[in-house]
Amino acid sequence: MKLRVGIVGCGKFADVHVQQVHALDNAALVAVCDLEPLMARQMAVRYSVPAVYSDFGRMLAEQRLDVVHITTPPSSNTALASSAMEAGCHVFIEKPLAPDLKAAQAIVAAAEHHTRKLCINYWYNYDPPGEALRRLVEEGVLGDPVHVESVFGYDLSGVFGSALLGDNEHWVHHLPGKLFHNVLDHVVNKIALFMPDADPLVSAFDHRHRPPSGDAITDAVMDELRFLMQGERVSGYGLISSHARPAGQTLRVYGTRNTIQVDFQKRTVVVETAQTVPTALGRLLSAFSHARAYRRCAYGNLRQFLWAEFHAFEGMRRLLRAFYDCIHHDTAPPIAYSEMLRVSGLMDALIGALVQTRLAREGRR
Amino acid sequence: MRVLVTGATGFVGSAVVRALLTRTEHALICQVRTGSNLSRLQPVLEGPQAGRADVVAANLLSRADSAKLVVDADVIIHCAAGMDGGATNIYMNTVVATRNLLDAMGNGRCRRLVLVSSFAVYGTAELPRGALVNEDTPIESHPERRDGYVLAKLHQEEIVREYAARFGFDLVVARPGVVYGPGGYDPLSARIGLNLPGLFLSMGGNNLLPLSYVDNCADALVVAATAPQAAGLTLNLHDDDLRTCREYLRRYRGEVRPLRTLVVPYPLLLLLSAANECYHRWSRGQLPAALTVYRTRSLYVGRRYDNGRLKSLGWRQSVSTQDGLQRTFEFFRQPD
Repeated sequence: MKLRVGIVGCGKFADVHVQQVHALDNAALVAVCDLEPLMARQMAVRYSVPAVYSDFGRMLAEQRLDVVHITTPPSSNTALASSAMEAGCHVFIEKPLAPDLKAAQAIVAAAEHHTRKLCINYWYNYDPPGEALRRLVEEGVLGDPVHVESVFGYDLSGVFGSALLGDNEHWVHHLPGKLFHNVLDHVVNKIALFMPDADPLVSAFDHRHRPPSGDAITDAVMDELRFLMQGERVSGYGLISSHARPAGQTLRVYGTRNTIQVDFQKRTVVVETAQTVPTALGRLLSAFSHARAYRRCAYGNLRQFLWAEFHAFEGMRRLLRAFYDCIHHDTAPPIAYSEMLRVSGLMDALIGALVQTRLAREGRR
Repeated sequence: MRVLVTGATGFVGSAVVRALLTRTEHALICQVRTGSNLSRLQPVLEGPQAGRADVVAANLLSRADSAKLVVDADVIIHCAAGMDGGATNIYMNTVVATRNLLDAMGNGRCRRLVLVSSFAVYGTAELPRGALVNEDTPIESHPERRDGYVLAKLHQEEIVREYAARFGFDLVVARPGVVYGPGGYDPLSARIGLNLPGLFLSMGGNNLLPLSYVDNCADALVVAATAPQAAGLTLNLHDDDLRTCREYLRRYRGEVRPLRTLVVPYPLLLLLSAANECYHRWSRGQLPAALTVYRTRSLYVGRRYDNGRLKSLGWRQSVSTQDGLQRTFEFFRQPD
């Protein structure tokens, strides 16, 4: 039987959710809801969704939904998720889970109280490169993790960046970490996979690389972030850049046996091994071995393309399939709640460190 | 009289400001969005009449900004619209922004709204080859089979008509064709073909292009805003002297840049569209359905156009198509 799915929040990213739901056989999108009736209507027309609401409570009461996707600004996530779970729905939520750890805990507590399943859209880890990385780690190729570098390029001239910088009332301006807050999950959750610590030492720095516009609210949006997390045995470095090109998403994991380099955009996963042949000959062979590794990635990508598994949001499709399957089979959700909360806590620590750095910088001035 | 021009930094908006300053004595309010690029508007406001124009930074997605904007306007020429960034973005910046403007008009003194809509709203897929497209042509009944822009423009027209009936202001719906000119949109409109890396698929063949040179379009909008007899009308805006896609492309290749071109005959185009649509469906969206049979039938079947209603209001094409093309291609010309 198909799951009855509803979406609340018909903004930009809701499109991606709708497309992934449509691509899966075990679910059907039956209702959309947005406080702005016009936005709900356009989504219903474009995707032939039968029911349209601007009142979330009414949608829950009338539609007997199995799953609610929440794609609203994070400040409303707690209230919406709690209502949905109280109405008996499972919840798939767009990141960030909530503006802070306390609100995130309230969402998880609601899921546990109502025995409903909850999942957050950490889709990069389910993208083919993310899955390949996991397999390599399970096979012991990495050894023990030592250090992780997570890089996230964010082009501010894109749709979302332009909307944010052109609208002083945009919800991102109200997040404690502003622009970074909205993408930080994708940087932190990749590091968290390898760093088990709940409370690492954190330092963070940010700045605005673009010239000032003269508008105080716009100029308060920083566009470059660097942070360092020092755990017991593993450290993590994060970089969010709006100006470095190409604006890619990469992960580099240093292990005691090898280093693994993942490029989520080019969809390559390459193991960097120690030189096995001594002398200049060994140095010569290294580049050939790299070339071979990239050729393997190219063939793998071609195979995925031919099997139509090479979508832009393939990872989200896989994560969603796993989440819907866990509902069908009543098994554990694909992402542990403890992981969601740990990432949320790390983000709180990071934003706290960022505020401290800003205060110190102001003090020096 | 004070005329508010929304989207004054845009291609059409800035031309409308220039036309109002040179052809009328009216005071202007030029709405610009915070942080938007002023490079098109700035030169317009450097002339001697610029003292009549106030530039106001306002976001039409904000009800408060919209209210402040319309309070002193007698006439609004509403050019602002979402042009890119995906269907949701286009819709929000077109329909939601227009609704906010309309809500604010309830408390203002505005007595006429000129909506800059689009030729894209016509439902041409079912029209036979050679059919006449004028203001009486039915509008699109399957926007979901077209694209986000068409849907946004259709809903925008729908809500302005609803509010005009409710508030009693004069409404003029202007539907420009392919607006072109120096500093404008991509001169190779989708009606001409598809620009692939290293190859241009020429798909328009001998179809007429409903060209509207940007200054002629702006003149038409000034007529729509000021002519008493325009009240309540829908107007197609395009020039008299239209060219075929083939002719336009030939001049573009000669005057702008050489272009490796592949002519796709209509029957083959239909076949490609069907194949693209099938692949999109089979692969569940791995490649976009850029070409579909319905869109192809809407855009690539030759039609005739009529701007008689616009001319009956006194509009005349002031920049000839020959001059318009020359100025445009000169602007876009790439150095050898």
